Amino acid sequence: MSQEDPAGENYSTTVKRNQVLHWSWESELPLECAAHFIRMRSMVDDARIPKPGFWSNWSSWEEADAQNMLGHDPLFVFPKDKLVEEGSNVTICYVSRIHQDNISCYLEGVQIYGEQLDRSVSAFELKNVSFIREKGTNVFCKVDQGGVLGGIVLFVSKVLEEPKDFSCETQDLKTLTCTWDPGSDTGLTKQPSQSYTLFESFSGKKTLCKHRNWCDWQVAQDSQETYNFTLLAENYLRKRSVSILFNLTQRVHPMTPYNLLPKNVGATKATMTWKVHSIGNNSTLLCQLELLAEGKVIQQSNVSIKVNGEYLLSELEPDTEYVARVRCAYTNHFWKWSELISQKFNTAEAAPSEAPDVWRNLKMVSGHPTVSLFWKPLSKVHANGKILFYNVIVENLDKPSRFEVLSIPAPASSTELTLDQCSYQIHVTAHNSVGPSPASVIVVSGDPENEEVEKGRVNGTEDGFSVSWKPQSGDATGYVVEWCDGPQDLPCVLQWKNLGPNTTSTVISSGDFRPGVRYNFRIYGISTKRMAHLLEKKAGYLEELAPSDNPQVVMSKLTSHSFTLSWKDYSTESQPGFIQGYHVYLKPKAGEQCHPAFEKTVLPEDSVCCKYTIDNPEQKTFVVENLQPESVYEFIVTPYTSVGEGPLDAFTKVTTPDEYSHTLIHIILPMIFCILIVMIICYLKSQWLKEKCYPDSPNPYKSSVLSLIKSKENPHLTIMYVNDCVPDAIEVINKPEGSKIQFLGTRKSPTETEFTKPACLYLLPTEKNYSGPGPCICFENFTYNQAASDFASCGHFPVTPQAPPHQLGPLTSPENLLKALEQNYMNSLGEIPAGEANLNYVSQLASPTSGDKDSLPTNPPEPALCSEYKMQTAIPLGLASAPPSENSSLSSTTLLGQGEHCR
Amino acid sequence: MLPAAGEPAAGDSWGMLACLCTVLWHLPAVPALNRTGDPGPGPSIQKTYDLTRYLEHQLRSLAGTYLNYLGPPFNEPDFNPPRLGAETLPRATVNLEVWRSLNDRLRLTQNYEAYSHLLCYLRGLNRQAATAELRRSLAHFCTSLQGLLGSIAGVMAALGYPLPQPLPGTEPTWTPGPAHSDFLQKMDDFWLLKELQTWLWRSAKDFNRLKKKMQPPAAAVTLHLEAHGF
Repeated sequence: MSQEDPAGENYSTTVKRNQVLHWSWESELPLECAAHFIRMRSMVDDARIPKPGFWSNWSSWEEADAQNMLGHDPLFVFPKDKLVEEGSNVTICYVSRIHQDNISCYLEGVQIYGEQLDRSVSAFELKNVSFIREKGTNVFCKVDQGGVLGGIVLFVSKVLEEPKDFSCETQDLKTLTCTWDPGSDTGLTKQPSQSYTLFESFSGKKTLCKHRNWCDWQVAQDSQETYNFTLLAENYLRKRSVSILFNLTQRVHPMTPYNLLPKNVGATKATMTWKVHSIGNNSTLLCQLELLAEGKVIQQSNVSIKVNGEYLLSELEPDTEYVARVRCAYTNHFWKWSELISQKFNTAEAAPSEAPDVWRNLKMVSGHPTVSLFWKPLSKVHANGKILFYNVIVENLDKPSRFEVLSIPAPASSTELTLDQCSYQIHVTAHNSVGPSPASVIVVSGDPENEEVEKGRVNGTEDGFSVSWKPQSGDATGYVVEWCDGPQDLPCVLQWKNLGPNTTSTVISSGDFRPGVRYNFRIYGISTKRMAHLLEKKAGYLEELAPSDNPQVVMSKLTSHSFTLSWKDYSTESQPGFIQGYHVYLKPKAGEQCHPAFEKTVLPEDSVCCKYTIDNPEQKTFVVENLQPESVYEFIVTPYTSVGEGPLDAFTKVTTPDEYSHTLIHIILPMIFCILIVMIICYLKSQWLKEKCYPDSPNPYKSSVLSLIKSKENPHLTIMYVNDCVPDAIEVINKPEGSKIQFLGTRKSPTETEFTKPACLYLLPTEKNYSGPGPCICFENFTYNQAASDFASCGHFPVTPQAPPHQLGPLTSPENLLKALEQNYMNSLGEIPAGEANLNYVSQLASPTSGDKDSLPTNPPEPALCSEYKMQTAIPLGLASAPPSENSSLSSTTLLGQGEHCR
Repeated sequence: MLPAAGEPAAGDSWGMLACLCTVLWHLPAVPALNRTGDPGPGPSIQKTYDLTRYLEHQLRSLAGTYLNYLGPPFNEPDFNPPRLGAETLPRATVNLEVWRSLNDRLRLTQNYEAYSHLLCYLRGLNRQAATAELRRSLAHFCTSLQGLLGSIAGVMAALGYPLPQPLPGTEPTWTPGPAHSDFLQKMDDFWLLKELQTWLWRSAKDFNRLKKKMQPPAAAVTLHLEAHGF
């Protein structure tokens, strides 16, 4: 409040004579921030003086200037360490002694802006301050770049709340415990947490609570019944209180019972005992005993007790786990239940209460009737304990004195018995540690079951299969529906359902039923003699599916116009739906129309196809007719159910044969066979044929030329026989070396060359250094020239000078040739002067190892003359090359002397 | 005994055996091999140095938590307030020349006195702390600092220096003075942690220097044997 603002704030009070007035006033603006002034005036307040009275004059202003009391620090921030409640508005200011403008202030590190009161004082108003931390909110100002800093900590307390849920109770009528919800803690480093004090107005006592949310109050011995409690919460800033009025006996909350124990536990009964803490003298407690099974309360009983509680629980299930729990309340006035105490216990076992559900399956194993017995494990309710074993008593009805007892340990649920043709009554009992269950009786006969019964179909729904049957004509004590839970290709998990005698339909449901699996149901009627007779068979699908596979189709009888398809092995039973028939798809030749029996259809891949529908699922053959010869067709056979058909993926190709091909085959095959026979014969007789047609050594006497000649009967053309020729002389002449080339170059066509000299065949000398004129035999017979040339491929044959033709003999073989050579050579030795005849004749026909060279003399007489021969017979080359006979002698036909005369 | 190159005479063998026995007899008297003697102040200096480094590490975590507890601007990294109310705190900063001129005893005495004061202030800090977790951390640090004080006392004793006796009436006490504003108190807390940090850094240097100084030169044991009568 400044001097210029006299409105300021007014305060009025009444004082008595000689009374000293103390007035405390807290300025919104810290006193250090500005000088404050005060003045006063007075008025007589007396009933004797009529109102309104008269005010005195104002006193002069008294100045309160706290700035004068500040120290010498350069910067102050006020108010110092102020404690306020959350939500308050706080004005702070700084007082600077350095008179600088560059002072900035921060609230928790964030700059704040205020109002400059004078040159050295600025004020900042912080509105609705909130609690930040117990250590207080920091406000500081600093001179920028000056290193001068001043600050304060503003302690913002949370607002003290009124205690909630204040209540008091006693467990023993000796101590009262009062509890409450304290709300938030208002503690700061500047202010401790709020304190709680408990006042009792009737007794006038109070106690300072040590805890934030509860407090104990000792009940006085003077049996005070009514209490009026006030709970006072306070901190530096505020006080809050709450009160309750109650009667002590109406606030009794008993302690938790203890020692809850089962006693004398039987199969159906048990006694529970427990204890409670006594409350006062002779007070009673109402206790509530609850029995729980599987987490649910099944029995509830109230018992009034003083200290010891006991209760008999009955109607319990044998071999069952139970939980008993007890809580108690003060009987005189119910206030609260005590805490619960629980105890678990198990009842004892009892004999099973129900006969096991037994069913049988008859089959023939190795010619013996075998019965498989199945039973369902007893439910927990009926087992009354752990089933240890099952007794199976087999009684022969035809021979009553004979029976057999089998004991099958649990948890087996089936057994197999091999019987004979008699009738048997089978008793099955389940045993636990206490005793057996009632027996389940079933009668079986060794005779095979009558399988010829009515067959039908059942429809599957979401709930299962709704199976119905015709009632049995005779007396039926019940019916049994039997099925297998799994698919047909898996081992059967036999399931059955017992039904009463008046039932003719039921719904078979199982979590194991799957779509697309065929389930077969057999309905049996149970006779009064406890024997089962098959009444009906039903098959059905929970949900039919389209076939997933197509049959394996065999194609046969393929002709140029038709073929046959068959799929005999296809089983309609094991399909994912009832097979209603088959579709035969045939892809025709391009441009070909479908046969009228077929229906034109478009496949998913947009190809056109002819479809034939077979609506009989048992018809598993089909003849495709009216086809074109030599054409490619594609077909597929796919079954269909009510849902759809099988996949159209793998078409099979077939090509129809040519129309005449089978006729041709009838001709070609025998021909091939005949040719083969001929070839085999030829092979076997090849030697004979060779000798007959093309012998190695041609024999002129056997040559076909002869027959040719004879046939033409030409008297001038005859074969010259060697024996008939007597050579006059053999002229051996020396030929110059150079003529060899000439001869060799022209010998292939000797007839075209005009020889001035006779053609020469050189005889090869063995010594290379031989420089003399080479000996040679000259021929003029060109017919044999060619032949000789041909023979040269096999070998040269040496010709000895002066060898008479008659002595040459057949020279075809090397032996003969050598002999002839030796003989001629020896004959000529006497006529040829020694030293002139120095020639070695080597036959290339002879083997190099035959010793020709050694056998020949080292210094044979050198032939000095050349023999010339005149042509005797001109034979065409073609004829000359005809196969000669074995005994023919080449030399005999060729070596003809010039002066020879044929006889 | 390994045979020598030459075959010694019987008399020589006896002489060598006697020599060896003499050596063995004198071996316990060689100081360098005597393990039962006082190891000197080396190990305790090393331990003190290690403890200093550990406290440095521990203080880094504690200071972070405590300054956050004080709130801004004390937890701001560049906050460097004037040392307004923390005049009574022992200053760790000292002129380099002055520091070098100090002898070991003075250095150790200054360290000991500084930590005695700082420990006292730190305990006051612990009493003020509002949160249980902070009180636990502070108590743990105080225990470690108490251990450092004991360690320094051990080093001083090992070096034969007497412990500084606190002058009567000058014992530091933590008193939350009414004239001392809460803001200045926070500044004191800030400076206490800062001085503690600087003192630990300085002590690490001091003990490292002392450690090197006390390290004996590379030991070279020379056995000088005199064989008489051989």
